[in-house]
Amino acid sequence: MSGTFTASQATDPSSQPHPPRRILIGKVGLDGHDRGAKYIAHVLRDSGYEVIYTGIRRSPEQIVETAVQEDVSAIGLSLLSGAHKLLVKRVMDLLRERGAEEIPVILGGTIPPQDLPMLTEMGVAAVFTSGTSTRTILDTLDTLLTPSPKGS
Amino acid sequence: MTLDVQTLINEAAHGQIRAAARLMTLAENAGTRLPELYVGLDRWRAARMVVGVTGPPGSGKSVLVDRLLEASRTKAPDRRLGVIAVDPSSPYTGGAFLGDRIRMMRHATDPMVFIRSVASRGQAGGLAACVQSMVRIMGLAGCSVIFIETVGVGQSEVDVAFVADLVVLTLAPGQGDSIQLLKSGLFEAADLFVVNKSDQPGADLFSRQVLQTLQMRQGAACKRPGVHLVSAKEGRGIADLLQSLERSCAGNQEAWQRRRREAVMQEIRSLILEEMRDRMIRLLADEAVADRDIQLVLHGERTIPTIAEALVDDLVAKERARRTLV
Repeated sequence: MSGTFTASQATDPSSQPHPPRRILIGKVGLDGHDRGAKYIAHVLRDSGYEVIYTGIRRSPEQIVETAVQEDVSAIGLSLLSGAHKLLVKRVMDLLRERGAEEIPVILGGTIPPQDLPMLTEMGVAAVFTSGTSTRTILDTLDTLLTPSPKGS
Repeated sequence: MTLDVQTLINEAAHGQIRAAARLMTLAENAGTRLPELYVGLDRWRAARMVVGVTGPPGSGKSVLVDRLLEASRTKAPDRRLGVIAVDPSSPYTGGAFLGDRIRMMRHATDPMVFIRSVASRGQAGGLAACVQSMVRIMGLAGCSVIFIETVGVGQSEVDVAFVADLVVLTLAPGQGDSIQLLKSGLFEAADLFVVNKSDQPGADLFSRQVLQTLQMRQGAACKRPGVHLVSAKEGRGIADLLQSLERSCAGNQEAWQRRRREAVMQEIRSLILEEMRDRMIRLLADEAVADRDIQLVLHGERTIPTIAEALVDDLVAKERARRTLV
């Protein structure tokens, strides 16, 4: 199971698949709804992730600085407003500026399907439109964060 | 991408936060056994003051730390500040919800404030060793004052107290068990007492109750109990509290140096225990407790402690033999 780290594993270092992964979950933009973000945060925590929850109404600058200081393995942004193009672009630009462009950015929320190609071109690693199953989200994250075997 | 630890250390020493953050991840995941982090410690910058902020959940610790950061940034703008916010990991899933940072987000884009969230990962003494490494890395990156925030209800919090120069215990009115807490071991670990949420009704009375309890417990402790009544939400009493911390720093250097030496000893001890535990677990994996031993116990012919002791002696002898062969 992705990222799972049971109590027995906690006492037996030799059986750990990998240390818990750290992931940032937050909302950019002026939208005040946080139920989606909070839900995902708890799903991830229940799957063994360490979630750095940054809350709502965050600027791209706050998100990126947090990601750098916390050295997260991935950034999960919840977007319910329509300003995703500008905000996501700003996040991607800032990540490059800070030398942190290898941190995958994942989007979730009400994103129009026609915007997916543009977002992918910006460098977004995955987009989960609302209605995506938790199973899909967890599996995709696990694949994204598992380093590919050398020589493959 | 390979991460050269020494390069990261050099970059962190120049104040590069990204490098320091990556070092902290390495230290956290390597079980603190990163030898490079200990070489040349005498040459590293170190924090002037490490403050532990502890207390039961809901006492407003994160908001208090946020206000202390704000006050410190105003009072001494050239000083870099660090925060290590520790939250418990779920014993079932191993995951954690690290939400302390949310109350400090206004400092998120301030290059002089370095905030790091840490999950306890089920470790007790091991947590303190990991936090000790993080304190060192933050000091290396130029943090002059570091706040360590933990939930003060368990053993790991007492361990983290070894890492701090002084411990601030934060309580709030409406927490019926706070007085009970004061009567428990947490009192001994704290140097300074704060009653937060002074804006709430009953805060004054609660503050007096806390003071009375402290005065009754004072006994042999040479610390002078005093209670700081603050409202982190409204920003009241913060300047006074900060001043108290600074006075403590100025007036207790000798005691603090002693405490820091003690902390090194504690760190060595906890690493010894961790190392022994790891070795034993590895050996136990090869040598399962024999069915025969279990039968002997069930038939009352041998006791569990006897079997355990014999097994430990056996494992220690095997380990010694293995080491001489290597």
